[in-house]
Order: sequence, then C-alpha cells, then structure tokens
Amino acid sequence: MRSKSVKEIVDFCQEIFEDISFSKARQWKAAQPGRKVIGYMPVYVPREIIHAAGMLPLGVLGGGADMEVIHGDAYYQSYICRIPRSTIELAITGKLDFVDGMMFPSICDVIRNLSGIWQIMFKDKYVRYFDTPQNFKDEVGGVFYGNELRELKAGLEKLAGREITAAQINRSIAVYNENRAWVNKVYDYRAETPWNAPAAEVYLLMRAGMVLPVEEHTRLMKEYLLAAGAEQRPMRDNCRVTLIGTFCEQPPLNLIKSLEMAGCYIVDDDSMLVTRWLLEDVPSDGDPIENLSHAFLHHSAETAAKYEPNLEEKGNYMLESIRKRGADGVIFAAPSFCDPALLDQPMMVQRLEKAGIPYITMQYAENSGQMQPIREQAGTFADSIKLWSAS
Amino acid sequence: MTTAIGIDVGSGVIKTALFRIAGDNVEWLARWNARIRQRDAHTLVEESIGAVLEQSGLKRQQISYIASTGEGETLKGTTGHFYSMTTHARGAIYLNPDARAVLDIGALNGRAISIDEKSKVLTYRMTSQCASGSGQFLENIARYLGIGQDEIGSLSLQSTTPEKVSGICAVLAETDVINMVSRSIAPCDILRGIHESMADRLIKLLKSIGVNQGVVLMTGGLALDVGLVKAIQDGMDKQNMGTQVAAHPDSMFAGAIGAALWGAFRYQKLKERGQLPKAS
Repeated sequence: MRSKSVKEIVDFCQEIFEDISFSKARQWKAAQPGRKVIGYMPVYVPREIIHAAGMLPLGVLGGGADMEVIHGDAYYQSYICRIPRSTIELAITGKLDFVDGMMFPSICDVIRNLSGIWQIMFKDKYVRYFDTPQNFKDEVGGVFYGNELRELKAGLEKLAGREITAAQINRSIAVYNENRAWVNKVYDYRAETPWNAPAAEVYLLMRAGMVLPVEEHTRLMKEYLLAAGAEQRPMRDNCRVTLIGTFCEQPPLNLIKSLEMAGCYIVDDDSMLVTRWLLEDVPSDGDPIENLSHAFLHHSAETAAKYEPNLEEKGNYMLESIRKRGADGVIFAAPSFCDPALLDQPMMVQRLEKAGIPYITMQYAENSGQMQPIREQAGTFADSIKLWSAS
Repeated sequence: MTTAIGIDVGSGVIKTALFRIAGDNVEWLARWNARIRQRDAHTLVEESIGAVLEQSGLKRQQISYIASTGEGETLKGTTGHFYSMTTHARGAIYLNPDARAVLDIGALNGRAISIDEKSKVLTYRMTSQCASGSGQFLENIARYLGIGQDEIGSLSLQSTTPEKVSGICAVLAETDVINMVSRSIAPCDILRGIHESMADRLIKLLKSIGVNQGVVLMTGGLALDVGLVKAIQDGMDKQNMGTQVAAHPDSMFAGAIGAALWGAFRYQKLKERGQLPKAS
C-alpha cells in the first residue's frame, strides 16, 4: 500500500479541525446502532473508561476562530474567556446534537459552572462535572479520586445499558498507553527536528486525536512520522521555544503559525494535555480504577492545570521540559481571562528568572485575528535570543 | 571570512545588500533595489540575489548566510529572518556609529527605535494604523500635485508660508490637500505643510520613547526626502530637544545592511558551535 504524504495527512487533519459539526464523530456513531459519543472539555478526563464503555470520547475544544458567537455571549459576562461561550454556541446551534453526554473537568470555576448550565439546558443528556483531587496522598486524594472514577463508570454503565468490566478497562488502558507513546514520539521528533515537523502540523495532528477513535489516531501519528521522516525540509536559523498556557481555550492556528514564521521553533507545549497528562504507562492488569487513580496522583504532568501543593516543586516540570527539549526560551501565551494560566504565570516566571531563561508573555482569544503584533513580539524575542543571549 | 546577503522586503521596495566580513574588515560588495509594483515578491527576491551575486562575482554556494528582514518571513531560500527593528538598528550603527536612535519611515508606517552603541534595541514605538506618517501618503500627494517623487524634498525646502494639514488622518489630510490645490496654494507650501505634519508625529514618537539627545538616523525610503529631514530638525529645534537628525545616502539600505551583518554574526556564532543551518 502506498504510504501517505505529509500533505495528505495534514490536509486530512485540517479538514477535521475546520469541521465544527464533527462529521467524523457523527459517522462513527452512525456506523453501528447503539453507539454513543461522550464529549469532554479540556483538560483531562480518563478517556480509557469511556472507551471501555464502547463509546467515543470526543474532545470539545471550543468553537475556534471562525465561529460567530451570538447566543453564547448571553450566558457569560464579557470578562470571561471565550471557550465556554463558543461551546454553548456549538450546542445551541445543533453542532453537538449527536453527543450523548458531556464531561466537564475541574479546570476552573467557569467550566464548572458550564456543567451546571449544561444540566439545565440539556436535561436529556448525561452531564458529569469530573472533579480531580488536589490532595495527592493515596489515603485522601486517592480515595476521593477512586470514588470519582467509580461514579463515572457507574454513570456510563447506565448510559450504555451494560456493565463495564475491569478487563474491558484494562484493554482500553493498553490502547491509550500505545496512543500516549506515539504522541510522545511525535513530540520527541518535533523537538529533535522542528523544521521537519512544524508546530502547526503537530497541532493539527493532535487535534485530530480529539475527534477520531484512538486507534485511528495512533495509526495517523505513525503515518505522519513515517512521512515526515521521508520529506526532509530545510532547517532555518530559528530559536527554540516552549509554548505555555494553551491547555484549555485554543489559540488560533494562525497564532501557532505566526510564532514559527516569526523565527520561533516550538519544541514543547501544553496543548491537549489529555494526551500527555499521564507520564508513564498505566498498568493494564489488576484493578484498573486503582491503577488510573495511582497514575493520576503520582505520575501526572505538573502544569498550570494541576494543583501542586509543594511550592518547591512548582515549575520543576517546566524547567525539566526546557532542558529535555533544548528550548532557548519560553512564550507564555494565555487565553484572555484564563485564571489557571494567568495565576500560574508569575510563579513560572519567577523560576525562569532565577534560571536566567528568557521569556515573553502574550494573550489571545480563540478568535484573535490580528497577528501582526504577535509576529512582531515573537520575532523580536527570537532576535534577542539569537543575537544577545548565549544561545 | 564570512559572506552574507541581507534582503529587506518592504511594502513598496525590496532592498538587497551583500557583505564580506573578515575580522574587523567589513566590505559592502554589492547592492540592489527594486520597486515591487504588483510583481511577485518571491521572484523579485530571487532576481535580487542573482543581481548581487553577479555584481560581486560570487557564487551562491559561497554565501554563508542569507538573511531576510521586513516582510520576508516566508521567503524561501533564506537561512534566517531578523525583525526590522533589529536590522535597522544594526544598519544605522554601520552607516553612522554615533546614532542612538533610528527613525525608520517606510511606505506604510513609521517607527522610532532607541538603540545603544552595539545596535541593541532599547525600546521602540510605531505609528498607529493611519498612513499619514508614511511614504505611501507622500506618494499619493505627489500624484495629486502632479510632481515627481524626487522633487518633493527640494520643493518643500523652497516654502516660505507652509500650509497646515491634518496630522491625524491620511484621508483628512488628502482632503485638505485637494482643498489647498483648489485655493491655488503653491505646491511647495503644501508639501512643507505635509512635512511639518509628518515631522510632528515622528517627533512625538521619539519623545514617547525618551529620545531627547544624540544623533537620530533616518532610515527607510523617506530618509532621502531632504524636505522631511529639514522639517524634523526644525521641529526638534523648536522643541529644544538637543537631537540632531542625520540621513545617509544609503539610508534606504539600512534594513538590508543590518540583515546581512547580523546574518554574518549568526553564522560565526553557529559555526563555533557546529550548528550551521542550511539556506532552504
């Protein structure tokens, strides 16, 4: 069979990205009677349990740059970020009418409140506010989180009309372990040769994973790495940056392209953390609830999206990522009014300043259209790194 | 020895410069510029590289680094890109080592940049979106008045009673000019009025970034407009700023010069580390 070119793969992902009616997920659902789709918002939900229920986890990451928000603005004040408003707009305009349930992870108050709005507006749908622990002791947070996972499982069993067995969850854990391994391979490849795996391509590839069945996404990543390796693209004299703050409301694709165009190779980011939240393989035997809970408590990424009780540890994950990926600096790009990103930033900045690592900060909304100031800011940042720092 | 090409893609003109650097010896071997005039910028850039190579007698493979600046971020065939502020600062110090600020006035906007003796950008500010401080605006006015662009400066110097025009909006200013023509105001007084209005905006930019002494070098296409240079100096003197405006015959190449020199610098830096990129 002929292997796909990078362009074919990226075009396929771009089509999924632009399709705010989620045709691929609709097709998956329509292919077999009784199939169900569970939407989830950023940042982390245990997709393994949804998968084990025979359902499709569908990442709902807002309405994107092109969708006009009309109804959504009536539900939130103007000083609230855009993702909840565009997500409501998606639902009201029927783009999510095929979705059987929605999960709202505990990323911030706004998303928590959105779960309440959803319960009132869509009474016939399964709605779950998915709480995660802020205490990482097994006997406290572990017990709480285990119960949370069991409640989720019970809710999905009711929706599926069948039991979700431990063996089924363990099989799904193995499937997601493989997916995570390939996500990490793509990220490693981009960090090694960023000119061969531009950030916008990697972003689209990961966005496709929010809609496609996990097995198909894994295949797509394998194909991409094969194709990218076969198409050697020219290396430019760019600086290398880590992009931080894009874990919930998504930056416009043009912003990612603009950063790279401005001379910054993005060698790491915190986009779509659901694919990389867990840092190690979850054991695919034994009690899957215990295993998922243990992985969350002890092997998950320390980002703005996760509470870190130990101030000494705060920022270590970022510094390690900068070291591992060979980044020259950091671009903090936070969505306007994003509490988690903007509250985390000063603590991160403090660590960077102590370590002498350059950084810049900027803000965006998912529909930001004016990229010239961003190009200018990122471009002069790249120049300052290339000409005036030790890089 | 390092050879580097700098390509400054402006909104109206593409400027290209080729340099050879050996230690402290910096040689400007070749230069080229062309108005874009609805032509494909990528094709023009290829032409420009061919032209400077031919002038210098060098071959492409002898070029260590091809650097773009201005609107040239997406150009193929370059090794790297530097931003306009960075390159104009470097170009300014090359053309006039005493410069501590740069006024870069191109076709679509103007920019004031404060720099140190090593060409490091300290701070900057740009004109807002309105085009009334730009070369395109002056071009339009010259067209209304039926005079050549190269006549603008010398005519403005002949003015005795400048006519004030709107300094806020290009559209209003153009309306002002049409009214002035119908009132038979002399072109030299209209042009001086426009120069004073532009000077006013540019001096405000300089003051907003704290430039109030030393040499301000004008770069970009409008640096060759002697009428504008004079209006800026007069405006500064009137406000007792203690700054001197300077222009250089090669001021329009400042971006290209800076790109080439920074490219050469980067090449050496990367070579020392064994991390040389390849021009695409």
